[in-house]
Amino acid sequence: MVFKNTASLNRRNLLRAGAAAGVSSLAMPEVSWAQSEKTVKIGNIDPRTGTYAALGGNQIRGATMAVDEINKKGGILGRPVQLLVEDSQGLPGPAVSKAQKLVNQDKVNFLMGSVSSAVSGSLSQFANQHDLVFVDSGGHADAITGKKCTWNTFRTCSTTWMLTAGDFEPLFKKFGKKWFFITPDYAFGHALYTDYVAQLTKAGGTALGNALAPLGTTDFSSYLIQARAAKPDVLICLQAGDDLVNLLKQTVQFGMNTQMTVAGAMQEMEVLEALPPAALLGWWTFEWYWNQPNVPHVADFVKAYKSRYNNKVPTARSWFGYATAHALALAANQAKSLDALKVVRALEGLELPPEVALQPGKCYYRAQDHQMIANMFPGYVPKDASYPNLFDVSQTIPGGDIAKSPEEAGCKMAYPS
Amino acid sequence: MSTSIDAKLALNRKSGGRVVAAMVIWVVLLFVPFWLPMIGGYTDLATRALIYAIAASGLNLLLGYTGGLSFGHAAYFGLGAYGAGLCLIHIAPSVPLAILGGTVLGGIAGILVGPMAMKRKGIYFAMITIAFGQMFYFIAVRWNSLTGGEDGLTGFSRVPLHIGGEAIKLGPERFYYLVLVLFALVMAIIWQILRSPLGHSFVAVRENTTRLRFLGVAVDKQIWVAFAISTFIVALAGTLNALLTGFASPDNLGWQLSGSFVVICVLGGMRSFWGPFLGAVIFIVAQDYLSSVTQNWMSFIGLIFVLAVLFFPQGLLGFIKGRGR
Repeated sequence: MVFKNTASLNRRNLLRAGAAAGVSSLAMPEVSWAQSEKTVKIGNIDPRTGTYAALGGNQIRGATMAVDEINKKGGILGRPVQLLVEDSQGLPGPAVSKAQKLVNQDKVNFLMGSVSSAVSGSLSQFANQHDLVFVDSGGHADAITGKKCTWNTFRTCSTTWMLTAGDFEPLFKKFGKKWFFITPDYAFGHALYTDYVAQLTKAGGTALGNALAPLGTTDFSSYLIQARAAKPDVLICLQAGDDLVNLLKQTVQFGMNTQMTVAGAMQEMEVLEALPPAALLGWWTFEWYWNQPNVPHVADFVKAYKSRYNNKVPTARSWFGYATAHALALAANQAKSLDALKVVRALEGLELPPEVALQPGKCYYRAQDHQMIANMFPGYVPKDASYPNLFDVSQTIPGGDIAKSPEEAGCKMAYPS
Repeated sequence: MSTSIDAKLALNRKSGGRVVAAMVIWVVLLFVPFWLPMIGGYTDLATRALIYAIAASGLNLLLGYTGGLSFGHAAYFGLGAYGAGLCLIHIAPSVPLAILGGTVLGGIAGILVGPMAMKRKGIYFAMITIAFGQMFYFIAVRWNSLTGGEDGLTGFSRVPLHIGGEAIKLGPERFYYLVLVLFALVMAIIWQILRSPLGHSFVAVRENTTRLRFLGVAVDKQIWVAFAISTFIVALAGTLNALLTGFASPDNLGWQLSGSFVVICVLGGMRSFWGPFLGAVIFIVAQDYLSSVTQNWMSFIGLIFVLAVLFFPQGLLGFIKGRGR
């Protein structure tokens, strides 16, 4: 444990100046109070590193594009809007640290973002303690707009219940009654599993087993062996992000895609894009898809997004970020105020205009539980799928038909007096 | 050997310069809520730096002064955090009770783990501490019903302090001062320990275990005592962190955080009383700033550490002191 100082004094002297300069510039964050005093600030906390980096990146892209559009149309209350992006690493601890920074240092007016449900939960609690509007753009756990709903938290993406209800019927009718689950071991996974099993039992099917895999698992072989031994009709994979990529690759390596139907609740463009061609398979639910031929404004949005971002098509995550930022601006402009409670009242029942909704039917934040009611897009990965045609939407299901009522979801909203 | 003489001299000497430097640090810390926002910081950032400074100073009692490289001290930090949260949720909504409960939980775990680790030396000591750390991590992840699993423990907050019938809300500034008072208390305790025969025996363990055994000193017991004291201090930091963020999560117990504590000690200077504090300030500020400007911020943290170990092997404070002589 005794350190010997072997570095020569000359070398140390040489590098000392450089290192000292580096450290001092780190200790002094840039100050931009003067210019930014009049801007409306939206704090966007999304994972830029970690398991969900790809998903978080697209949410940020969507939000950035929306903020540019908002600024072109006169901003919020005639003031320019600034999007401040911070990295949550997909973990609740760093996310709250970043929220503290955004609120105390940057004095943001609104908070949005999150991919992981755990982060959504911690940010929702944080925003509630600070009387701040928080729109959860991409964390799906039911509780956020259910049992743990708060007056200041809204959600753009769907609930886990809606994700499972989106493709339950086609799966059950087409492929069989015996299901096996591989579930990521945290709130989101548990919620998906519970919701599927509730519907499966009600319809008279059986859950043969449930293998819980920790977040960030790279080797799924032990879980796949369990699944194969159970001989199910349908193998439900509830992972997201990189975890799902690894799981699907290994499912194909095990040859299990030929023995049973591989399916799951949520599927994302980012995941399909990362898969090798052999692992492109399965029945899933999308929450938004770029190819909607007969819906107005969608093609324009896709074109603008592609030219802006390196010819990549927008994903559901892009839309979450895009719709969330637009919704905040619309609500604040409608309320003619940045006051949290007034903006909340404006967001309640707020219907997205067609150029923001970008899908058929009515998209709105339900007033009673603050849940966005939009469409679900169940479908399957076609044979010989290639980017960007990685998914065939079999139907669009209006969210209102499958969402739990606020009472069923268990939300009891309490407002500050 | 020169380092040990330095350390002893540093401990005994009360030169004017040191007193002035310490006073400057305390005055600067006392006025953080006033000057930090002016340069674009925020009070919670300073609170976080102080919490990490408490943890690193506690670890350094074992690492720097007793010579035990523990890679599992986040376990006691996390136990403190969960202990505080569980106290607030299940026992009583009281911040002092939460701090006490969490600290005792983490400290008792340290007392129990200590005897199993104390007989191991060098790399084996590091291995066994990391193993116990991961054990607590997986308990926290798996025990869903109590700890909330991967989601962490939520649903508690800094309830107001009740003093003399009056409810005092703990906003960011007041909580900073609460943490500052506890930081001062911890530093005073460590200072007293280092000046006592017990502290001298810690340094002796680090310097020459064999000789100490010949002198009839129960070396293992000294390591155990150092280990236990350091876990109490780290657990205290954990309770404060839970109160700062409003929840406890499994990352509070993981090996990455244990590694960060060691990095903080090494960065600031393991042989220096103020080294862990300096390391914590640099680490937290760098992390906070870099992760806002680039998504590759972890590479830069790594780079800072590599440079520090290469060119300031005694830590920044050790380097500055060496220059001054």
